[in-house]
Amino acid sequence: MKIRLSHADGRPLYVQIMDAVRSGLVRGSLRPEDPLPSVRDLSSSLRVNPRTVSQAYAALERDGVVQVRHGKGTFVAPGVRPEETERPRLAREVARRALADASRNGLGLADLMTALREVEGGGVHGDGSKEDGR
Amino acid sequence: MTNRAAALPIDLGNGPFAVSTRGLARRFGSTRALDGLDLQVPEGAVYVLVGPNGAGKTTLIRTLMGLVRYQAGTVSVLGRDPADRGAEVRAGIGYVPEDYRVGYAWMTVGRLLEHQAVYNPSWDAEYARELRARYAIDPGRKCHALSKGQSRRVQLVLALAHRPPLLLLDEPTDGLDHVVRDDTLSILSEHLADSPTTVVISTHRVYEVESLVDHVGVLSEGRLLGQLPRDELYGGLLRYWADVPEGWRGPGELAGWVVKRSHAARGIEWTVWGDRNAVTRELSQAGAEVREVVPLSVDEAAVALLSGREAT
Repeated sequence: MKIRLSHADGRPLYVQIMDAVRSGLVRGSLRPEDPLPSVRDLSSSLRVNPRTVSQAYAALERDGVVQVRHGKGTFVAPGVRPEETERPRLAREVARRALADASRNGLGLADLMTALREVEGGGVHGDGSKEDGR
Repeated sequence: MTNRAAALPIDLGNGPFAVSTRGLARRFGSTRALDGLDLQVPEGAVYVLVGPNGAGKTTLIRTLMGLVRYQAGTVSVLGRDPADRGAEVRAGIGYVPEDYRVGYAWMTVGRLLEHQAVYNPSWDAEYARELRARYAIDPGRKCHALSKGQSRRVQLVLALAHRPPLLLLDEPTDGLDHVVRDDTLSILSEHLADSPTTVVISTHRVYEVESLVDHVGVLSEGRLLGQLPRDELYGGLLRYWADVPEGWRGPGELAGWVVKRSHAARGIEWTVWGDRNAVTRELSQAGAEVREVVPLSVDEAAVALLSGREAT
C-alpha cells in the first residue's frame, strides 16, 4: 500500500489514509482478508500521530471496509466488494475534487465534460492546451 | 463588520489535563514574558506551541519544569505545582531544552547515558541502546565535542528513554539535518504508539511537526491567541477565494471573525474563523461568488493569526 500525504491537500490526513486504502482496493493491490500495516508501523513510516492512523482505521471499520481483529491487527473485510462499492465511491470523490478545481478556475460542469471527452479521445493531446491545474 | 467576539477559542473544557495554568504571569524587568496565560494540555495530546521568537515559549516551558519562578497565577504539571515540587515534577518529564549543552564537558556520552540508568529508576536501558543506535551516537565522544545536531540527538535519547508521562520539547528539530529530523518524527510516532505520553512541542517551524500534532496553541507576547484541537482549527479557520463586483463593500455582517483580508480589483482572499456554510452564504448574499474554500495548515493558520494581530 503506497500512501503519500500532503498538508496542501484539502482533505484531513486521516481521510487521505482512508482514500489510499480505498484506491488500493480499486486497483487490486489490496484484496479482501489482506492485512493492513499496524498502526505503529504506518504512523512511523508516514511520520504521523498514531491516533491519525487509528482514526482512519476506525472510520474504515465503520464503513465496513476493514475489520479490526483484536490482538491480530487490521484486515480488509472479507465481504468487501471493491467494484460495487469502492469504485463508485472513489470516482465520486475524484469527481468532487475535479469540480471544485474547475469552479476555482471559473469553469462549470459542461466545460469539464467537454474537455474530458476531448482529452480522453486524444483530440487535444500534446498540444499544450490540456490543463491539469497542478 | 468584523465580530471580535468570534475570536478563536482558548478554553478546552474540563480536562483531564496533564498540564494546566491559570493567569500565569512572569516579568523580567519591564518585559511581560508571560501575561496571564491559561494553558491547557489534555492528557495524551500532542500539543504544539506556536509563536515568534520572544513570544514566551521557552519561559513557559522552563516554568513548567520548575526552572523559572512564576509571579502570579497557578500551575499544575502532572497534578503538582513545579514551584514547590520541582524535583518530583521533573522526574515525570522528558525535556529537550533550548540550550544544546549536555552533561559535563569532560564526560563521554556513553558515561552520561549510564549515569541516567543509575539515577533514573524508570530508565529503559534496552530502549536507550536502540535509540542510540538509530541516532548513530558515538558513546566514546566527549560531551564538549558534540556538534549541535549530535547534542540534540543525545538530548532526545535522554528525554525519551525513561518513557516519562510528559515530554516537553523546546525546538526539538533545531540543528537536525533533514534525514535526522525525519528519523526523529518516526521515533516520536513509534514512541506515542508504544507509551501513553503527553507531548508539548514548542517551535517556530510548525510545518516540521505538523503531522504529529493534535492540539495547537498560538502564543504572542505572553498570551494565547487561540488554543484548540487541530481538527477544529482545520474545520473552522478557512480561506475563502471569491470574485466580487467592482467597488464591493463586503457583507454588512459576517458570522465569523475575519482574521486576514486581501482585496484585488474584483477578487478577495479572506481568512475567516467561523462556520463554513454560514460564511459562504453571507458572502454570496452580499454579491460575492465564492470560488474556493480551503483549510489552512497549522503553519499558515499561525502566520495568519500572528500577522492579523499585528494589523489590528
